[in-house]
Amino acid sequence: MKKTKLLPYLLLLPSMIYLLLFFAYPMLESFQLAFRREGQFLNLRVEPQDEAAVVGTLALQTDVTVLERQRLEETLPNGRTRPFYWFRVEGLDTAGTTIEGWASQANLFIESRTESTTARVVGGESAREWTLDYVNRMLNDYRFGSALGTTILLVVLILPLQFILAIIMALVLQAQIRGSSLFLYIFAIPLGISDLASGIIWYSIFTQRGFLNSFLVGTGVLESPYIFIRVGNESWMIAAIVLAEVWRATSIVMVIVVSGLQALPRDYIEAGQVFGANLWQRLRYIILPLLKPSLQVALILRTILALQVFAVVVAIAGRDVLSVLAYETYRWYDPQRFNSPNMAAVYAGFIMLLSLGVSLFYLRAVRSEEEAAKLL
Amino acid sequence: MAEIIVEHAVKKFGKFVAIDDVSLTVDDKEFVVLLGPSGCGKTTLLRAIAGLGMVNEGRVLIGGRDVTYLQPKERNVSMVFQNYAIFPHMTVFDNIAFGLKMRKTPRDVLQERVETAARLLHIEDMLDRRPGTMSGGQRQRIAVARAIAYDAQALLMDEPLSNLDALLRLEMRAELKALLGRLGATTIYVTHDQIEALSMGDRIAVMRKGQIVQVDTPTRVYDLPVDHFVGSFIGNPPMNFMRASVQKHDGALQARVGDLYITPPDYMLAALRPYEGKDIYIGIRAENTEVLSQPGAGALPVTVEVVEPLGAMNLLTILIEDNVLKVSTHPDFPVVAGGQVWLLFPEAKIRWMDRDTGRAITPELEQVVA
Amino acid sequence: MTEATVRSEVGSPAPMTQAVQAARRRAKMRHTLRRASVYAVAIAIALWILVPIWLIFTMAFSTPQDVRSFPKPFYPSPFSTDTIEFFLNTEGVLRSTLNSFIVAIIALLLSTAIAMPAGYAIARFVFRGRDTIRLGILSVRAFPVVVLAVPLAVVFIRLGMFDQTYSLALMHTALTLPTTILVIASVFMGLPYEFEEAAQVFGCTRLQAFWRVVLPLAVPGIAAAAVLTFVLSWNEVFAAILLTITNRTLPAQILYNLDKSGDPYKFAGGFFMLVPSLIFIFFIRRYLFSMWGQLNK
Repeated sequence: MKKTKLLPYLLLLPSMIYLLLFFAYPMLESFQLAFRREGQFLNLRVEPQDEAAVVGTLALQTDVTVLERQRLEETLPNGRTRPFYWFRVEGLDTAGTTIEGWASQANLFIESRTESTTARVVGGESAREWTLDYVNRMLNDYRFGSALGTTILLVVLILPLQFILAIIMALVLQAQIRGSSLFLYIFAIPLGISDLASGIIWYSIFTQRGFLNSFLVGTGVLESPYIFIRVGNESWMIAAIVLAEVWRATSIVMVIVVSGLQALPRDYIEAGQVFGANLWQRLRYIILPLLKPSLQVALILRTILALQVFAVVVAIAGRDVLSVLAYETYRWYDPQRFNSPNMAAVYAGFIMLLSLGVSLFYLRAVRSEEEAAKLL
Repeated sequence: MAEIIVEHAVKKFGKFVAIDDVSLTVDDKEFVVLLGPSGCGKTTLLRAIAGLGMVNEGRVLIGGRDVTYLQPKERNVSMVFQNYAIFPHMTVFDNIAFGLKMRKTPRDVLQERVETAARLLHIEDMLDRRPGTMSGGQRQRIAVARAIAYDAQALLMDEPLSNLDALLRLEMRAELKALLGRLGATTIYVTHDQIEALSMGDRIAVMRKGQIVQVDTPTRVYDLPVDHFVGSFIGNPPMNFMRASVQKHDGALQARVGDLYITPPDYMLAALRPYEGKDIYIGIRAENTEVLSQPGAGALPVTVEVVEPLGAMNLLTILIEDNVLKVSTHPDFPVVAGGQVWLLFPEAKIRWMDRDTGRAITPELEQVVA
Repeated sequence: MTEATVRSEVGSPAPMTQAVQAARRRAKMRHTLRRASVYAVAIAIALWILVPIWLIFTMAFSTPQDVRSFPKPFYPSPFSTDTIEFFLNTEGVLRSTLNSFIVAIIALLLSTAIAMPAGYAIARFVFRGRDTIRLGILSVRAFPVVVLAVPLAVVFIRLGMFDQTYSLALMHTALTLPTTILVIASVFMGLPYEFEEAAQVFGCTRLQAFWRVVLPLAVPGIAAAAVLTFVLSWNEVFAAILLTITNRTLPAQILYNLDKSGDPYKFAGGFFMLVPSLIFIFFIRRYLFSMWGQLNK
């Protein structure tokens, strides 16, 4: 009896451990990278002893006043002894308060151990400190604003197009025309296409010597190729990226919408038909409201993925031309470039926050709308 | 309201012929039940009339207008769905008003129609609620209210009671019949439940394998089935069919079952003459067989195999040669399994059937009347 | 002819006048037009998806001269495998293809093996915390790769696991695990528990019942989930380029070389990456909807 109660947990255990290891632990690590910095600090002690309690910490290079000194004997490995000093010092800590406590000669630069009344902190224990430096650096980075702006612009352009197209695709598949299984396969093909491949494909269309120019020049619309993708022509680059993303990632929305539609009893739609609703009215009053849960899932999923848009941008616009958040993350991380995992972690954390915020917003918006409807 | 005419309708799904050359006329204000076993095409026919699936051949007329290729919304029909199709995201009021809103009915008319329909179905108290947590019976009422509020030329009902529990179904059946009778709506009602069909319809159209086998009043469908199928599909227990051979006996044409000779009524003689020397079926309803506890003139002695007390009657199972017979008796009739009783088959209640085609052998007169 | 037809002919309306016939023709025409417009939309969308694939196919199977030419050909003429051969013979391509396969196969096996018991537990048992666990798994399903890749790279460097195919496979497993668990759970939910009970009544242990009755029935669905894992790992590029340097997978290799190489390399690479996914999607297309249908609940 006891065994069967434990069984589900045992079965779940490997997954839970794995997910903790690969989600929870990296999240912690990421947090550390983003907000903590390695540094050396001098711990001031209550008494002239290494194990004594810590009064406070002083940063390196802090100037201190020596208030009191104590001479101790230090035994060397060869058995001889030599004098070893501890000083009671006073100085300003990182927060700007004056603190006093004992520090050993090992961590202080002092001209004369017996005479000098001032010293400077030169050593201490290495420790991690909290810092907002990385965050500030990101916020002040000249590329941050444009990266955020471009990312949001892409999300705002891509998502509505995707949802409209996905709903049309789903309705076509639901119309039960002959050959709909073939259409289903074709519509589903992009599910397996990577963002990089999609980027390359649309690059082949939009590049200067690409298919679009070949077509436009070939049909005489243009006399010579138009350079869509170049610095200073952001709107065409963004258009190409939007097309590539809509082309590639609409299928997943379609799959979610179709499975939502399949779960709807056909009766609902037929009742709409019988009671005089045209296609648009059926969509507006019956299908979309009933599909809301599916659409919400798709919306959250697609927004989070669109916030990470990366390979498509690199493939179409090239490196460093058009900046998006995920590309910034990579740029800061890249060992051959900035080699700063800390900055990369800050950017990644920012993407995470955005994703979380958007998800909560969607969930909230849908709920409140329902509540409002109840009140009416 | 208007009459509905279906002419030579054919509907195929791939190679499967769901409706096979069906014609049917439903008069103005008439209540016709489409009855048949599952898969017989009755729902397909109803949907073809609603426009939810176009016929491949033939045509559909509603109120004299050819609607064969029109969309459902252009046909001006109303419908009650098997699973009600009450929209979960709308209030009861909005559900009932749906069709009227789609038609852009003025607000005051709409309000009045919805309220009237709701009152007729006794759901006026729940108009501003949502149907999410409502019972099957309540949804059923909403579905009917929506259908009658829409004020269409025809009312189509697709097994509307089949998802209700037995008691509620009985109650709704009577209520629906009274309501529709009062409204005088041209109604086509699909069901597989023969009791529902017999109790509700002005006429019943019995379907089988995509064809309409018989269209008649309930009593005629019950008493005078056109063939073996209708006789055995309608009625509980179904009509008994016994093999009989038609032969000359004592100088007259008679049908022999076991040791019993049955003399056909005079008006059947001409029709039965071609069957002399052949086997036919004679069909008789359980309640039309007379059961005697003592030998009587012309009564056939038989042994009772099984006695099933059903409350209002006892049902006896009897073997005559290889024919299984179900006959009913009053519950007080003294009999036990293994006991002997005597059976009388009143000639006037017998339905004569061709053994090869399964079709009723009928005098000229009846064909004309039909 | 049934009695019904006899009757209806008696009550038949007036014969069709020309006006009625014209109205009927118009109605029929509109009906045909409606069907035709659905086809038109379907074909337009199909072309929208297929034409770009055709174009990249054209590039992959044209000569390198044609790839660089302008205007470009819209079909391979002459048909040539030179470009794709050039791509495959480029330093690092075959090796990275092999790496991609290794990573994807490890991820597929690992995530299926770990997810199967978990999916079974969620599908078959009622236990305290079941809903919380389900919700937790559901919410990490959409977890951004970008967020995980950076810290994992740092951890892998610390542990000496950096730049290894297996460590990338571990990462990809983590990415697909939530989805795989939910898909496999939905596969098991689709199999009536009575099957197992029946097997147990007729003398199987619980494990035997699973092994002999449930697993064989679940194999197609589980295989579909595994294929999905493969495709995801095969396509994933962000984590791949962060976690590997010398042992790059194919997408990472192509992305890294994008700026340094010419169009023939890019286009052949784009097409080459496409092929396995096209094939795999074909095999699992029947399962797509049931997978997502369950996931949304």
